[in-house]
Amino acid sequence: MTRAELADALRDIVGPRGVLSRASELLPLSADGLPTYRIPPSLAVLPSTRQQVIDVVRLLARERVPFVPRGAGTGLSAGALATGDALIVGLNRLTRILYIDPVNRLALVEPGAVNVSLTRAAAAHGLHYAPDPSSQSACTIGGNVAENSGGPHCLKYGVTLNHVVAVTVLLPNGKICTLGGADGETRGYDLLGAFVGSEGCFGIALDVTVRLVPDPPAVRTMLADFMSIEAGARATSAVIASGILPAAIEMMDGPTIRAVEASIYAAGYPADAEAVLLVELDGLEAGIDDEVRRVEAMCIDAGARTVRIARDDTERARLWQGRKKAFGAMGRIAPALVVQDAVIPRTRLPDVLHTIHEIAARWNIQVCNVFHAGDGNLHPNIAFDPHDADATDRVHHAMREIMRACIDAGGTITGEHGVGLDKLEYMPLIFSPESLDAQCRLRGVFDPERRANPGKVVPIHACREWFASPAARTLA
Amino acid sequence: MMPADTALRAHTTQDVAAIIKDAGARRAPLRIVGRGHWLDAGAPARPATPLALDALSGIVEYTPGDLTLTARAGTTLSDIAAVTAEHGQWLALDPFGTDDGTIGATIATASAGPLAHAFGTPRDVALGLEVVTGDGSIVRTGGRVVKNVAGFDLTRLFTGSWGTLGVITEVTVRLRARPEVDETWAIALDGDAAIGAACRAALGAAAAPIALELLDAPLAAALGLGTSPTVLVRLAGAAAAMRAQRDALRPLGAAAPEPADIWQRLRAAEPAGSTVLRLSQLPDRIGDTWQLAGHARPVWRHASPSRGIVRMIIHTADDTAAAIARAAAGRCTLIAERAPEAFWTDGPTPVPNATLAARVRAAFDPAGILNPGLAPDAPRSPAPPPADG
Repeated sequence: MTRAELADALRDIVGPRGVLSRASELLPLSADGLPTYRIPPSLAVLPSTRQQVIDVVRLLARERVPFVPRGAGTGLSAGALATGDALIVGLNRLTRILYIDPVNRLALVEPGAVNVSLTRAAAAHGLHYAPDPSSQSACTIGGNVAENSGGPHCLKYGVTLNHVVAVTVLLPNGKICTLGGADGETRGYDLLGAFVGSEGCFGIALDVTVRLVPDPPAVRTMLADFMSIEAGARATSAVIASGILPAAIEMMDGPTIRAVEASIYAAGYPADAEAVLLVELDGLEAGIDDEVRRVEAMCIDAGARTVRIARDDTERARLWQGRKKAFGAMGRIAPALVVQDAVIPRTRLPDVLHTIHEIAARWNIQVCNVFHAGDGNLHPNIAFDPHDADATDRVHHAMREIMRACIDAGGTITGEHGVGLDKLEYMPLIFSPESLDAQCRLRGVFDPERRANPGKVVPIHACREWFASPAARTLA
Repeated sequence: MMPADTALRAHTTQDVAAIIKDAGARRAPLRIVGRGHWLDAGAPARPATPLALDALSGIVEYTPGDLTLTARAGTTLSDIAAVTAEHGQWLALDPFGTDDGTIGATIATASAGPLAHAFGTPRDVALGLEVVTGDGSIVRTGGRVVKNVAGFDLTRLFTGSWGTLGVITEVTVRLRARPEVDETWAIALDGDAAIGAACRAALGAAAAPIALELLDAPLAAALGLGTSPTVLVRLAGAAAAMRAQRDALRPLGAAAPEPADIWQRLRAAEPAGSTVLRLSQLPDRIGDTWQLAGHARPVWRHASPSRGIVRMIIHTADDTAAAIARAAAGRCTLIAERAPEAFWTDGPTPVPNATLAARVRAAFDPAGILNPGLAPDAPRSPAPPPADG
């Protein structure tokens, strides 16, 4: 089948408006949320129904065509980009919330359902969907499953993995299976756990059953500001070690604060501070104010100038808006922003943040830190002009040094954004060839032909099996 | 079978790798043994040479401020409890049995107990593993940080795989700070008819219990809790929050304080030789699941209402377990924690996604030498062709 014949066969399934083949139509699908990758696909198909998804994937299986599942394209690891002759299967037209079961606190959604729309739909029952990535107003549940997405409130409530109870999976070979189950425990291997976070390499989620969480009866949001980022990190470490488990502990550094305050998302952060901590406590009304006072005291001990407690929901929403829209606000600094992602042990926050600051100064770049401090999940973001080749080069060098510093501190290369294409080069720094090979073996279970999102997550050339082959040694 | 009688004992990960490579070359099956508590669940496991991991023990790394701990697989839960208690922390896993079990076996069998109500199961607690797969490769999964999406999630795959994909040699887990107050209350219910309403009221109360377990009257009596069905509620938190939580439970009935060891006694309640079945459905179906034992005696039941799980302890080796399994077929998920051989060979349902499961097994233990015959790939009666694969 030629490419044109394939496009026609796809049109027969999804209709003429469901296939994109002109360069101008495909432009929006050539990137995700990372500005450093731009790979235009040659073809994209946008099914509107579950049956169309199944028919498309079965056609691709017959024709052995590689494909990339894609949700809203808000990812930050260049994971939903089509390389080579892979085509994109867009799932963002399957947006239905199929049911909400308020008694058992479950919801069944299609993969293209937007994260926040589920929380809005559950609100009438006093429930919400806990994982809340900053892109939650656009990102899809299917994409969240693929990336095992996090968010500020994952500190207390857990990441996507902890909230998905079942997925109906369309395997790359076109067969359908249900992993996990809403109605009781699951026997056998935890294939659901293996599927969550598989970055589209194991198949497509046709529907997802998620757990909903009761809205907490009491919420307190507080803002502490510091004259050094180390002081904010010390406060974070103290709170974590104390045994209080806040719903969220988010940190923003001076450059981030000033970008937010200069933008339409201004949240009332003290513009002269070098760090603010946004701490949210939630739970039962009884005892919560006592915890607020303890956290306040720990912040003051660590050097906080002031600690402010939101008086009402409006003030609380405003404090959060600054955090959730911080990436957008950084558009004021430079045309492009590399949003990075790494995790370190929480006791290492002060020294690693110091190291990142040194690296940035040495390469003469501007790093804005806005991150999930309570989890040790850093987002050192670099604003730069992609048309400035020298600046771009310095950004890449600094990024590598920052990742190396996080790994040296006992950390990992991604906490919630995934590996995609962007982190492939770092995988051999944290996994041995044997360990990478084991990951390849797992992929082989779901997709022996490696047609689903090829070239992502595991750098094949670093696997043991690659080293073992004489041909590979010659190439290397 | 105790580890002391075993022929093979590993002291290091390299020992495990060497033993597995040797066994693989000879196609000689191995039975993985921690402290010998879970073993083969009573399944008709084929003869295999025991590989004891009890000497592969000790804490590898523990930084209290990070609330993470790395231990070798043969480390007992009680050793971990002792080390973490010094820093006011704990590993919030209380699998049925005793704390003499090992962390490796707890993860390998995905065993959890009443604390799963609030803190989840091993899949929610395990952060990273070191595993020797069936070909002798030493594989590291996950890491030592609390959030990690680097690569495919082998940690979840090996958790609960019953040693059939690899031998877990090291485990990193998430810890929690011990609550300031940790107290347990027993609420006696007015007969079986009151169970449904009590569970709903307990789950809806303005309290945040870390465990909430329903016990039937015979089990309550065996634990010295009186002669009524009983709800055990474990409240924890800051002292300032406790009074309000206790008040919130008042509508359920009179609550009597219980010493903390009630949970150890519940975990160790099953008499030797019992058959233990776990039945689960949606939480709002727990009343039906609870009744699946019918009037069979002697059976003790207890349930975790928030998780929809009823655990049945059957004291006799007759056909009671088989009768319960027949009643459960098509109505709920049945997992046998321990059952006589006859029960396994007449197993009621095939493992879901059998084709994928078989492929996983072949990918990680190509020679089939690790815990052959064990759940979750235990032999089952002929089944319709699976949809997967």
